[in-house]
Amino acid sequence: MSIENRLIQEIEQLQENFNLTTERMLKEIRRDQRIMGRSDKRQRKEYDELQQRLTQVEALQKEIEETQKEVVFTMGAIGETRSKETGKHVNRVAEYSKLLALYYGLSEEEAETLKQASPMHDIGKVAIPDAILNKPAKLNDEERAIMNTHAELGYGMLRYSLRPLLECAAIVAYEHHEKYDGSGYPRGLKGEEIHIYGRITAVADVFDALGSKRCYKVPWEDEAIFAYFKEQRGLHFDPRLVDILFDHIDEFKAIRERLADTPSLTLPTA
Amino acid sequence: MNPITIEATQYTPAIRLDPSGAWLIAGKSYPENTFEFYKPVMHWIEVYLAQTDSADITLDMEIVYFNSSSSKLFYDLFDLLDAKRSTHKITIRWLYDPQNESALEAGEDFIADFEFLNIQLTEK
Repeated sequence: MSIENRLIQEIEQLQENFNLTTERMLKEIRRDQRIMGRSDKRQRKEYDELQQRLTQVEALQKEIEETQKEVVFTMGAIGETRSKETGKHVNRVAEYSKLLALYYGLSEEEAETLKQASPMHDIGKVAIPDAILNKPAKLNDEERAIMNTHAELGYGMLRYSLRPLLECAAIVAYEHHEKYDGSGYPRGLKGEEIHIYGRITAVADVFDALGSKRCYKVPWEDEAIFAYFKEQRGLHFDPRLVDILFDHIDEFKAIRERLADTPSLTLPTA
Repeated sequence: MNPITIEATQYTPAIRLDPSGAWLIAGKSYPENTFEFYKPVMHWIEVYLAQTDSADITLDMEIVYFNSSSSKLFYDLFDLLDAKRSTHKITIRWLYDPQNESALEAGEDFIADFEFLNIQLTEK
């Protein structure tokens, strides 16, 4: 074979190999494109589906949370119908409680839970007879003893729940009449034996009660309220919480004003 | 040959390869390095196919989620099997949850691309 012919043969062989290789490469590239295209399509679909489900789950979660809030609020409202205290009282106590909780150092989430649980602190009063609950005079010892059972009664109503909100409410109901020096009820707990929720609610509840009109008392002047808190610092109340109250008194007063009781409706005089 | 058993993880499927020909890949497949993860699996299959003159192989694939490189790897795996379809009796059962539409579609794509492989769509 001549050199030229050998050369031609070799080049033809190379050409064939080249064609085979490029064909394989093209096939490979086309397949990869197809795989990627399908993968992209599949993943888009899967991601869409995930997002859709996430939206559903989020909606459900919101529904659950709203339901829980409503139930708690309704329970608070039930409690209110049993006493002459206004709805604004529980709202104010809730707001004071959250503020105290935040300054005390609890997380925003926990402070919010306490705020939402707070309206149930007197839920046990639904089981207290009207004659005692609404007596327009000081209770005698026997009546006082019955009245005081509302803390334990409230705890009894709420204690079986494992929901954080109701667990918090159970603690608040049980311990909001405990006093820092151990002279409170129902268990006579002392100092930090009293859960922070109980200590906070005690301050918030008394701060509001003293400044409000009740069936058995006229509202106290601010000076008298402040004097009482100074006197009871470390006795009735956690001293740290009393300090917080005084350090931020303007914020507490702002809540009191914003959620002030509206005067009862009177007909305009001619 | 010894069988291979790999436990499932959050990102990788459970894998069982047995010389009897009963094979299984089940779970999710989105490893960090797909080809690295499947290297021993592919190696085992290559050796098995080279060492056996004929065999009954049933590969159950129950993949609920897989990424693009896993998709590519499954093509490579099916290529290996496709090359032996004249000597080996190969059945691939693509198991899918009827709720999982994209798993079904992926199975249909494999059937379209490997027309000579016996791929069966099997609802769970």
